[in-house]
Amino acid sequence: MGIKQLSIFVANEKGTLADVTRIFREHEIDIRAISVYDTVDYGILRTVVSEPEKAVEALAKEGIVSKLSDILTINPEDKRGSLNDIFTLLGDNDINIDYIYSFLVREDGSQLFVLKVNDKEKAQELLEKNGVEIIREL
Amino acid sequence: MQENDIWSECETYDREQFRKVQSERLVDTVKRVYEKVPHYKNKFDQHGVSVEDIKSVDDLSKLPFTEKKDFRDNYPFGLFAVPQKQIVRFHASSGTTGKPTVVGYTKNDMTMWSEMIARIVTMAGVTDEDVAQISFGYGLFTGAFGLHQGLEHIGAAVIPMSSGNTEKQIMIMKDFHTTALISTPSYALHMAEIAREMGVDPKKDLFLKWGLFGGEGSTEAMRREINGAWGLLATENYGMSELIGPGVSGECLALKGMHINEDHFIPEIINPDTGEVLPEGAVGELVITTISKEALPIIRYRTSDITSLNYDKCDCGRTTVRMAKISGRSNDMLILGGVNVFPAQIEEVLFNVDGIGPHYQIKVFKQGYLDRIEVDVELIDANYLDSFGKLENLNQTIKHKLRTVLGIDAKVNLMQPRTLQRFEGKAKRVIDMREDK
Repeated sequence: MGIKQLSIFVANEKGTLADVTRIFREHEIDIRAISVYDTVDYGILRTVVSEPEKAVEALAKEGIVSKLSDILTINPEDKRGSLNDIFTLLGDNDINIDYIYSFLVREDGSQLFVLKVNDKEKAQELLEKNGVEIIREL
Repeated sequence: MQENDIWSECETYDREQFRKVQSERLVDTVKRVYEKVPHYKNKFDQHGVSVEDIKSVDDLSKLPFTEKKDFRDNYPFGLFAVPQKQIVRFHASSGTTGKPTVVGYTKNDMTMWSEMIARIVTMAGVTDEDVAQISFGYGLFTGAFGLHQGLEHIGAAVIPMSSGNTEKQIMIMKDFHTTALISTPSYALHMAEIAREMGVDPKKDLFLKWGLFGGEGSTEAMRREINGAWGLLATENYGMSELIGPGVSGECLALKGMHINEDHFIPEIINPDTGEVLPEGAVGELVITTISKEALPIIRYRTSDITSLNYDKCDCGRTTVRMAKISGRSNDMLILGGVNVFPAQIEEVLFNVDGIGPHYQIKVFKQGYLDRIEVDVELIDANYLDSFGKLENLNQTIKHKLRTVLGIDAKVNLMQPRTLQRFEGKAKRVIDMREDK
């Protein structure tokens, strides 16, 4: 088990993000993390929400395509160079990072990072062995 | 192929019998229109052809063509060959520009029409055991009433559902045990989509066996999509209000072309640019002459539909000539940077791409002096959301496949499902924004 991320197809049109957030609001789903990169015509909204399965269902009802996937979420030590250590470790072991985004947990002030890598199991094992905290539940 | 009955012995005439009946009826029709319809008298006179010149079906090409414009110029009843007293039914086509095309039927025409439809629904698998749901719009459009009469004529139980109110369509389909669906192919696809949203699995929860589609052209890819979505066997039928409505031709279960009711409609294939009659098997514009209609006989009507004819005997036992699926309309052909493209070709490409839905829209416009084309499609498969690269690959795949038919690069817009317009009647897929087409 791990934290699930929702990938949602969004067209680059006025109001598409609000369409998604409105659905979350109506179904009382909380957004923990959100990320969209700049694209021309369309893109993928990545988000971590309070009830991912319920979110997929609510979106589908409104005709919005979304996909759930397991992602690697880490809580790196809050010290200079810790991300550099992590990226170097992954790189040295042939693990590629497709994308990364971070979010803050208000309750304890920790900053978590969501990583999409080409080999999640291997990355997780490697990071754990090297003392990086893996977050399995929010 | 499944075995099924042939409605009329006329469908198995040999060529000589067809020639004989066509010649007799053509000579009679020509005489009638010359006497009763001033438009034809003037046209024949101007063309230098007299009634006596037409002795058999071989003389057909001596006659002038009739075009859509002739209906408009003679609006509303100028082409009728009988007094209004004998008319028992009017229909009219929507007519996107200007006045609609008005057509009329005598009592005998109605009987003949029902007979034509009876043949077509029988060859598509329908029998008196079936429950037929007609999801064409009832009204001036010929589709709904045409199929309605013919289906009743063979003893099928007809549900005159009309189009629209899709959720109710599905409910009735389920509760009445509908076994045959009659609609446009695009509406059939839309209905399947709604059924799934309602939690109805068309293959498990419904009883459909046959789908009889018409009112607009469709491709083999679209047929596969419909068959897959509904778990039925889709056939296509063809007609147009100017000629009678549906009932000109239809596919049998061999699915190798649409059998033309040749003892009532004589087909020809012409070169749309020169009007020259093309030899058997050649692709060109379909021209039809009606030879049994009383109210509105039509001589050599240019349908604008592009097809070809096949006179070989069909696996189903019928001998009537078959026309191929309409590959386009001579007037909806797009000319993009000098390349001729039919929307049907674009459709064929899109239907063969995984990950996108069956609905699409084509937009054509000018950028400077160049023709540009954009194709909107709906992304339906969430698996492409793993990475932006996957989405881009899908876009590139579509673009690449389109290039092979278009000759130019199209911009492909991936859209959210259900954002493109859905159609309950004939689909309008092409928006041409160029000023001078």
